[in-house]
Amino acid sequence: MSGEVPLPRLLLVECPELAAPEADDGDAHLRRFGRVLEGLSEVCPWVDAVRPGVCTLPLRGPTRYFGTEEAVLARVAGAVKAVLGGPGDHGPVPWVRMGVAEGVFAAALAARAGTVVAAGETARFLAPWPVGELGDPELADVLVRLGLSTLGRFASLPAADVLARFGTSGAHAHRLARGLDGELPGYRVAGTGARVVAALGRALALQDRQPGFWGGTSEADRRAAAVLTDLQRRLGPDAVRVPVLRGGRGPQDRCRLVPWSPASGAGGGTSAPAGPQGTGPQGTARQRVRQRAARQRVPRRKALPEAPWPGHLPPPAPARLAVGDRPAQVVDDGGIPVGVTARGLLTAVPARLSVDGGPWTPVMAWSAPWPVEERWWSAARRRVARLQVLTVDGTARLLVTEGGRWRVEATYD
Amino acid sequence: MVCEQMFDRSPTRPQGLQALAERVRPVAASRTRVLPVLPPVAALLPEGGLRRGTVVRCTGPAAPSLAMAVAAGPSAAGSWCAVVGMDDLGVLAAAGYGVDLERVVVVRARPAEWALASSILLDGIDLVVLAPPRHARSAVTRTLAARARDRGAVVLVVGGGQGFPAELELSVASAQWHGLAEGAGRLQSRRVCVVARGRGPAGRPSRQELWLPAATGKVAAA
Repeated sequence: MSGEVPLPRLLLVECPELAAPEADDGDAHLRRFGRVLEGLSEVCPWVDAVRPGVCTLPLRGPTRYFGTEEAVLARVAGAVKAVLGGPGDHGPVPWVRMGVAEGVFAAALAARAGTVVAAGETARFLAPWPVGELGDPELADVLVRLGLSTLGRFASLPAADVLARFGTSGAHAHRLARGLDGELPGYRVAGTGARVVAALGRALALQDRQPGFWGGTSEADRRAAAVLTDLQRRLGPDAVRVPVLRGGRGPQDRCRLVPWSPASGAGGGTSAPAGPQGTGPQGTARQRVRQRAARQRVPRRKALPEAPWPGHLPPPAPARLAVGDRPAQVVDDGGIPVGVTARGLLTAVPARLSVDGGPWTPVMAWSAPWPVEERWWSAARRRVARLQVLTVDGTARLLVTEGGRWRVEATYD
Repeated sequence: MVCEQMFDRSPTRPQGLQALAERVRPVAASRTRVLPVLPPVAALLPEGGLRRGTVVRCTGPAAPSLAMAVAAGPSAAGSWCAVVGMDDLGVLAAAGYGVDLERVVVVRARPAEWALASSILLDGIDLVVLAPPRHARSAVTRTLAARARDRGAVVLVVGGGQGFPAELELSVASAQWHGLAEGAGRLQSRRVCVVARGRGPAGRPSRQELWLPAATGKVAAA
């Protein structure tokens, strides 16, 4: 760690709604963002437009000039407020969040949490965040399976081992997690400043007709966002969830439900949370940070491209997933339990199936097992195999076996 | 130029007023009275689509899949789809049938809350797919049906739900999987026979053979 150049202490200002909206609103969002930049440049001349909707300014100089960090933050907040929602600005006031930390990566997380991380505390601040924040789903998946679910745990690995196991991109992620490196690869959008200037300079002949920020979101999207916000307020954030696809072998791995947030669907601008100080769920500050992080980890829902995933099940996907543990028994003609050999073959011909200790149903057809070796890198690896079984009542199920035990994973209802 | 802009936005201008009226008008009167469905499903529905304000029940062995196949059309056309009381829904399967996951929300409600949740959803979501608890009170189900009628939403009841005054019942009379043999192959397609029964004397039952799913993963006419 000695000899590392300390990262600059940055104030990051983010207007999520002024990032590129999905629908084409011309340059309206860029123009508004440009006016924010103009306003901020009066506080500090070194405003850096990192990407649309996100800019940073170094705190060292302005703090010397204005006396304290608090004074700078107050000025920045005032400048942003004066621009957005001030005269000459149209549409609802967008959601603005700010945070202070060392380096762009940490500052962006600080902005999400709405906190000012004390000088020198960046690594500690980063520690509880999930590894998914590193922006590399594959790496995050592996780390989570290794039990390294937070940046802090990942950071505690020796750098040389990380380089050996995960290569240079992993090593870079590791430096981010340790608070030594500044930026997530791909976070910065080159030429943002130039685009903003061009948008501001462009003739405003194009009328800004859409009052909302969500540009082309349909009436249906707005109505949905309103009722979902209402529902979430009444039943709690976890009661209203949206699907997110990701890589994985089994149906339970491949789709995850995450709490809905106005930003995750094509939600309505008016229902966006008020900001860092908005009404959050109850709990400690850290819990709230985590919950917020959980909700914001998926800023926009997009189906992942179908990644090659060895051993994954072919379509069609089952219509019902088992909830909880649904033990099953598979036996052959003689009543002897059927298992799967190390080479992925069935030990006997399945004849009858019983689910949850229920009655035996004769088996009509079954697939060859799909062997899946999970956690191949760990000593406690487990051998798992999946099997499709069709019983005479016409029900098709997906069974999974592990350590000689069968359970129902899903039903092709 | 600022003046011009203000003028443009003013709701007192006929054009602006019209746009405003469009926005505040009840959902029931919105542009489409019938939500479009995929062609193989259209043959089952008297109007060739899901009529807003109605309740449709899906029953039988493949009811969840059938509901997803019905929901795929409106979803692809931009409608939101909320799923209540089916925490175990295989969302991948829904996507396979053509439901757009960007406009799907899965609502987990305790037994005491499912009716409240459904009624809130009917306010702003076109399609509410609902697996009601077995002992749902008929007063509650009637209220929800009335709400759907009022708001122009469609309720798709999956399984049971006998208390629901459904305008149409789609029941899977038979289902047979293809592709799986003894120790070989895999589940590939399922042939089902769906019987559609409308309410009242005019509703003569009609039958339709479907692949649910076909080998392509989607719904197809058999």
